[in-house]
Amino acid sequence: MGWRGIGHIAALLTLLFGAGVAFAEDDCAAPSEECVAVGRWNLSVAVGAGVRTNPVIHGQDIPLVVVPQFSYYGKRFFIDNLDPGVTLFEGETNTLSLIASPGYDRVFFYRSDLQNFFLGNFTPAGGATQSTYAASPQQERREIPARPRRITYLAGPEWTFKYAGVTGQLDYLHEITGRNHGDELRAALGIPLGQMGGSWSANVGVTWKSAAIVNYYYGGPDFYQAGWALNPFAKIGYSRPLSRKWKLEAFVHCEHLGNGIADSPIVRNHYVTSAFVGATYVIHR
Amino acid sequence: MIRIRRTGRWAARLIALLGLWMAPSAYSALDPPPEGNIKLQISPRICTLTGKDTQCETPVHAQWRSSREESLCLVIVARPDVKHCWEHYAEGVYTIQLTFAEDLTFQLRDVSLEHVLASEVLRVIREAIRYRHKRRQPWNIFD
Repeated sequence: MGWRGIGHIAALLTLLFGAGVAFAEDDCAAPSEECVAVGRWNLSVAVGAGVRTNPVIHGQDIPLVVVPQFSYYGKRFFIDNLDPGVTLFEGETNTLSLIASPGYDRVFFYRSDLQNFFLGNFTPAGGATQSTYAASPQQERREIPARPRRITYLAGPEWTFKYAGVTGQLDYLHEITGRNHGDELRAALGIPLGQMGGSWSANVGVTWKSAAIVNYYYGGPDFYQAGWALNPFAKIGYSRPLSRKWKLEAFVHCEHLGNGIADSPIVRNHYVTSAFVGATYVIHR
Repeated sequence: MIRIRRTGRWAARLIALLGLWMAPSAYSALDPPPEGNIKLQISPRICTLTGKDTQCETPVHAQWRSSREESLCLVIVARPDVKHCWEHYAEGVYTIQLTFAEDLTFQLRDVSLEHVLASEVLRVIREAIRYRHKRRQPWNIFD
């Protein structure tokens, strides 16, 4: 599916929502977990201890120590960390936006990738661009030639909703920086689990990556031709306000790599686990 | 092309002449009022509170002019600490540093403070803050 397909989806969603839901006046009247002031920057930083495992051979695990977060919401435009977007309409329960988001898998190849900075400790070091692997125990180890994985951006429509306390997100994104022309589907649900000494929540979802994206990161013409991959994930999160500015946060996030990725000779683990416990300080809101 | 250039030059001259003609009236912001009237002006006339500001803090410049000599006092309603008087003047200027959160009414009164001769209001406007939903992003690892 290319731009034409994305355009059709966007048009369809716009028609669906436009017919059923007018541009509702939102119910936001004060800053909260759900609402932000229009035209203001929101800055916060989480400090703690955590790690994201790296499934790539020779790839080092990514420490999560200082995690800055920023966002800005205009009337329609917003930027949420590295994701800029335009809200096409916003109701009390449904929101439709066009967003752009960086290609995720580069974080495993470059520690200096901005996504590691905004979700971990920035360490300007080279990445695992060269690997040794054995296709079978009997085969001798072979060098996989170093190959750069450039920064990519994907863009497309995003539909989010809230129903009975459950938050949903569905993105269909196409690579727009001309590196792999792949597509990606991101779908997730956020489910509140209740209050037990703080707020507990569970997130579940899947990421579907087209073969073009999987091959760009994990494949190569002379050693592995990947197909698409479907990565399911689950996360348990905990949050507790400590004061007006401080909040205690912890989570464990586990993602299973689909066969297209897990079968690559440069991938050693079938799971990526991220865990963090720390405190978030709101610098400006 | 020549005609356009000439036209432009004449237009520029005309604008310059108009500017010269209008300059004196713009310069004397406080023209003499009609006979028997007193004209009061304050600056600024509006204070806008933005963001988390709770009050305005600004110097306020008050200027009055009359067609004849007057003995009067400048006061601010509900601010008895502010009072400045003139005796036998046809105009006066007064500048004061003020901190305030609500509208201020400046009045010129006679020396007995019983009769209001002129009045102006310095308005406080609070910037309306709009809120909207944050992006819901359960796919994000840190959301």
